[in-house]
Amino acid sequence: MRGAARALMLMVMAMLALAGARAADGQPARVAFFVNGALGDKSFFDSAARGLRQAEADLHLATRTIEGGYDPTRWESGLVDLADSGDFPIIVTGTYTMGPLVQKVAPDYPDVTFILFDGVVDYAHCACGNVYSMRFRQNEGGYLAGVLAAGLVRAGAIPGTAPSGGPGVVGLVGAMPIPVINDFAAGYGAGAQDAAPGITVLRQFANSFSDPATGKEIAKAQYGQGASVIFQVAGATGQGVIEAAEETGRYVIGVDSDQAALYRASSPRRAARILTSVMKNVDAAILRALRLWQQGRLPLGRTESLGLKEGAIGLADNPAAALTVPPAVRAAVAAARQGIIDGTLTVPTAFPGGRP
Amino acid sequence: MSLDLVAAGTVAAMVAVATLRAATPIVFASLGGLISELAGCINVALEGVMLVAAFAGVITSAYSGLWFPDAPLWLHPWLGCAAGLLAGTALAGLLAVFHLELGADLIVAGIGLNILAQGLTVLLMAHLTGDKGSTASLTSFALPNLRWPELGDVPVLGALLNGDGGAGHNVLVYGALAATGLIAWTLRHTVFGLRLRAAGENAEAALAAGLAVKRLRYAGLLLSGLLASGGGVFLGMGYLTLFQADMAAGRGYLALAAVFLGGRRPLGTVVAALVFGGATVIAARLGLLAVPAEVVFMIPPLVTIAALVLVKQHQRLAARRRAAAGRATLLSS
Repeated sequence: MRGAARALMLMVMAMLALAGARAADGQPARVAFFVNGALGDKSFFDSAARGLRQAEADLHLATRTIEGGYDPTRWESGLVDLADSGDFPIIVTGTYTMGPLVQKVAPDYPDVTFILFDGVVDYAHCACGNVYSMRFRQNEGGYLAGVLAAGLVRAGAIPGTAPSGGPGVVGLVGAMPIPVINDFAAGYGAGAQDAAPGITVLRQFANSFSDPATGKEIAKAQYGQGASVIFQVAGATGQGVIEAAEETGRYVIGVDSDQAALYRASSPRRAARILTSVMKNVDAAILRALRLWQQGRLPLGRTESLGLKEGAIGLADNPAAALTVPPAVRAAVAAARQGIIDGTLTVPTAFPGGRP
Repeated sequence: MSLDLVAAGTVAAMVAVATLRAATPIVFASLGGLISELAGCINVALEGVMLVAAFAGVITSAYSGLWFPDAPLWLHPWLGCAAGLLAGTALAGLLAVFHLELGADLIVAGIGLNILAQGLTVLLMAHLTGDKGSTASLTSFALPNLRWPELGDVPVLGALLNGDGGAGHNVLVYGALAATGLIAWTLRHTVFGLRLRAAGENAEAALAAGLAVKRLRYAGLLLSGLLASGGGVFLGMGYLTLFQADMAAGRGYLALAAVFLGGRRPLGTVVAALVFGGATVIAARLGLLAVPAEVVFMIPPLVTIAALVLVKQHQRLAARRRAAAGRATLLSS
């Protein structure tokens, strides 16, 4: 009996050893993507998932996505489980909320590489030599959105809201006042003020990432207060803002993914209300990081800052709304973009201490 | 002067219109909560019922458009509406079976169904549309708005009746108002209402009086499902025209609070629901002021807690006064 048990154990160990050997030669490396939420937000996480799918195709990696759900108490244990399983030499995860958790878990698993997007760990206070973090300069994208929105108001390009003496109104609907969204807002406000000095920038938070009804109510209130364009930085809540734009005949600027593309087939009228979307190319950034990792050139143990210059932030093209934007406004946006890339234009940020 | 008055009146009308719109889902659900509470088995699954109804409504209207492209356009939303009401009522029926037949704890089963609804809608949506977030890739339909164009020029009243932009109110906003009146009247003035309340007040006494308590409670739960479904359908096919995972966003729980905040009375419940709706609207309109939104979103729970404490205090004082009066009568006789 004991002999049989020992034989079984030996067999299992041999199989494990074989499996390990196979992973080393020939088998694709396995990448885990831990989502602290759920896919299907039409913006941030979906974009990241796109990056991993692209990596699977281009870099021949085996990827696996684990959705941790919206319960924050389960995220840390989920991350530990992944690292502890030993199945994944590399774990991708994102958002500022996950930063402290990665900081806590990573030192215990020095053989696992962590890629943290849109979040940072405090390298001064943890042995995080196995963590690569990237943060996005979303304030630069917000700035361009502000220049576009205020430029349109100033040019009187939006029927029904031509400024009668006053400098006009633009709006912003955010999900929650968290650092990343405040950073978008800081850039947006600065861009709007630079393009049309004295313009009113309404700013309101819905207190939820997944309540489009409240998003719509806030947007209707802002349009009612005279806003011609609203920049929505509110995850799934923002879909309500887009509906409000369709109903009132005003305009909206989307975020993270090309949101006009989403409605092009199902609701062209809605798509025509989306001037552009401030793209946070999380997909491209993750693909780039994984490629660097494969080549052994990933700068572990430090944070990289990605923005317009690196192509990580940009504006989407929506042909359906292109006619709304006069050439002068288009030129102003292009000039601002160039200024930011050249470094002649500095955009304020909501992060304390500016950029790394 | 009078121009100012009209302008102020129009602004007030706009806020009233927005409040009505924001409160409609809560009004429907809280009426459902009320009727089940009065029948003695409160429907904790209101949130889940709303989600399921919104999902079934949106998906059915979208697929109706795909399957019957030749049918008149007005048909699709109504088919969706019917499917939503049916699906939501069925979920409430499930709760009734769990509780009344199988003896499951009402609260536990209700919360279980809420969690089930959350997961099931996303699972089905992912299966049907390949998307876990929302049905934005489908063309779904909204129920029609009712307008009064002949009153459009009347100051204030026109704005009140035709809403912002003169688009009118969704037919379900009127539905919520009608349901309020109907439920209040049924509970107070019909034999069914009396029996329902008796079954809730004291089941043993009602049984002894020969009432079919179990059947009455089935009726209470199914009606609550139907009413809450109205709220769900409005969310997906009136307020918005899409289904978004977890789009009820706690309105079902707010509705439960409204039942108790309203002192378990129809009118009180609806007023409480309007207060909750109004809090959202006020929060949405504070963009110009430097009031943090979190503070405003704290109003509904704070009002609920304060009101519950006050109501309890009032009841205790009244009971003490009654007892004192009784003692005085006894002593004097």
